[in-house]
Amino acid sequence: MSLSLDGNGKSKRAILITSLLFMGLAHILFFKQYIKGAFFALVQIAMIAFLPVVIPAIHGLITLGEHRPELSVRYRDHSMFMMIEGVAVLAVIFIFLCIYFISVRSAQKTYKDYCENGRLSNNKTSIKEVFNQSFAIFGLAPSVLLVVFFVVVPLVFAALVAFTNYSSPHHIPPGNTVDWVGMDNFVSLFGGQTLWTSALLQVAIWTVVWAAAATFTCYFGGMIMAVIMKDFKVKFAPFFRSIFILPYAVPAVISMLVWRNLLNGHFGAINRTLQHFGIIEGMIPWLGTEAMVRFTVVMVNLWAGFPYFMLLTMGTMTAINQDLFEQARIDGASKWRLFRHITFPLVTYQTMPLIIMSFTHNINNFGAIFFLTGGQPAVAHSPISGATGADILITWIYRLTMETLQYHFAAVLAVMIFIILAPFAITIFVRTKSFREGEL
Amino acid sequence: MTNFTRKLNFAIVLIFLIIISLVVLYPLVYVLSAAVSPGSSIATLSIAPFADGFTLDHFRFLFFESNYPIWFRNTLFIAVTTSLGTVIIASLGAYIFSRFRFAFKKGMLLSMLILQIFPSFVGMIAVFIVVLRIGLFDNLWGLILVYLAMNIPFNVWLVKGYMDTIPKSMDEAARIDGASHFRTWLTIIMPIAKPIITFLAITSFVAPWMDFIFPNLLLRSPENQTLALGLFTFVLDDTRNEFTRFAAGSVTVAIPFIIAFVLTQKMLLKTLGGAVKE
Repeated sequence: MSLSLDGNGKSKRAILITSLLFMGLAHILFFKQYIKGAFFALVQIAMIAFLPVVIPAIHGLITLGEHRPELSVRYRDHSMFMMIEGVAVLAVIFIFLCIYFISVRSAQKTYKDYCENGRLSNNKTSIKEVFNQSFAIFGLAPSVLLVVFFVVVPLVFAALVAFTNYSSPHHIPPGNTVDWVGMDNFVSLFGGQTLWTSALLQVAIWTVVWAAAATFTCYFGGMIMAVIMKDFKVKFAPFFRSIFILPYAVPAVISMLVWRNLLNGHFGAINRTLQHFGIIEGMIPWLGTEAMVRFTVVMVNLWAGFPYFMLLTMGTMTAINQDLFEQARIDGASKWRLFRHITFPLVTYQTMPLIIMSFTHNINNFGAIFFLTGGQPAVAHSPISGATGADILITWIYRLTMETLQYHFAAVLAVMIFIILAPFAITIFVRTKSFREGEL
Repeated sequence: MTNFTRKLNFAIVLIFLIIISLVVLYPLVYVLSAAVSPGSSIATLSIAPFADGFTLDHFRFLFFESNYPIWFRNTLFIAVTTSLGTVIIASLGAYIFSRFRFAFKKGMLLSMLILQIFPSFVGMIAVFIVVLRIGLFDNLWGLILVYLAMNIPFNVWLVKGYMDTIPKSMDEAARIDGASHFRTWLTIIMPIAKPIITFLAITSFVAPWMDFIFPNLLLRSPENQTLALGLFTFVLDDTRNEFTRFAAGSVTVAIPFIIAFVLTQKMLLKTLGGAVKE
């Protein structure tokens, strides 16, 4: 059965109402698009069928369970399971709303086409054609589902935990429940608890200093090597080049753990070597004091990171027009001036996006800090905060999560990282070619 | 410039390069030497490389007395599966983002870009609970699913950028000849996108070898350990420093890595540099 349609736009309301009433209804009643309509209807039916699951899950997300000490631990409400299920259900509802929106819009669009053309476009309904039309849906489904349930849901969960008291020792499920506490954690970290505030301040400043120092040392180190190698027009250059790229090829975690052993303050090979040659008297605590460890991580990171920028600069330099150099040389410019006024500005301009990416990477450079320093050195606030003198935000999050079980503060830090880094991501997005050309 | 100053310049540059080379090589040579030195802790090793004698005991221990073969097999399985899955899922997604117009496209692309700036272990407690709830805790497949999901946002962007540069007339021609979207993707687009697909396959194959955080979070039983977990137990604890065994294990991983890198470095860097400029 199919209802008659008015070609002059008068059925617009009827279509809007039917499509809003039940997904796919308009497609089936008016447009004879049975397969499409059935698909939408199935989605709606599935959603209704899941309502008995959805409502308790949302309720659980709101209450996070009741504390009932009279029950044995096995039967108590597990706040975190309730929270994750609530978030997952919200994700499903969100996907449903998107499909709902698409179905209503599709109905309106089909009607608009009908008004313009005066007839319904032919619906080929062979299986092959249906498969072809739904290619986009089936092709995108695995990406969307995986990202939603293994990336988005965990991140939303992490953000929500920032507003709960999920922490050791009093609020760890299943023994106890977790409660919503509003902005309390933010208040504690930003001034409420002096020790935590000073720890946060220290770690946050060091995170930015570290990322800037790590990026700049590697960038300039790499560029200097590239320029020297280019000037060094002899047959040895390729030989040195292949030595210099080795640190980049070794898995970073291995090199960090090796350096940690070499730099060990008590029995490390480097201290023993320096002693052997009489350069130092006692042992240098490379990783033992706050100032030393910060110097050491930047240096070791330079060792591991300069080859990347060296290769990059070499690649970019070959693209510089050689006439520029010729001209300058005829005018009597020195090598330093050539570098200062031609090579440096051109290469920096070309590699700017990669420098920005490297900076954001270093903000989150877990491996360089965590595996190299291995939980040293303790500072004044360490017994409470769990942060070491070398920790950046991301390694502190890891310690708060895995070692001291202060999930609520870890979540606040995650939100902070988001606030620091989101502008970078949006900048990159706006700069992409497809965005600028208005394709999106 | 006189002949003498030129020679002096050359000598200074050469000495500088030699010093840097020594600094670069020092830890690598030391590990290589530790891998074949008798003894266990780094404290007992001589400061000069290869001065303690030569033994293959550590390799013998790894291959025949430890669980190294199991770690290796697990890691290889995870890496191959993750690599294959990432290539298929991300290239399909990228093709659709590159060629189709649909609702929420812009929002999805922007959110993927924001998602990829997060180290995925920020949400690790939640990942742990999700994997536990779907019954894949202490199961290699649970880890593979997590890796796949983590790989998608960045790689869809990367591959989409490349596919945007392939002229649309290519697939329109194929469509006129009656090819389905699936066939167009598989037989027209994928072969042209081969450089970026290779890059994708290599990078997603390499990452699981040295990841420590997620295997540590999601795997428990001895038969489900990975290389990174196994090797790190030798040195993560200062009181039980088995540096030489760790060195031997590291050498078995690092040497294939170095060879593969040297063979593919030009392609890798070109792809990465090009992708960013897009």
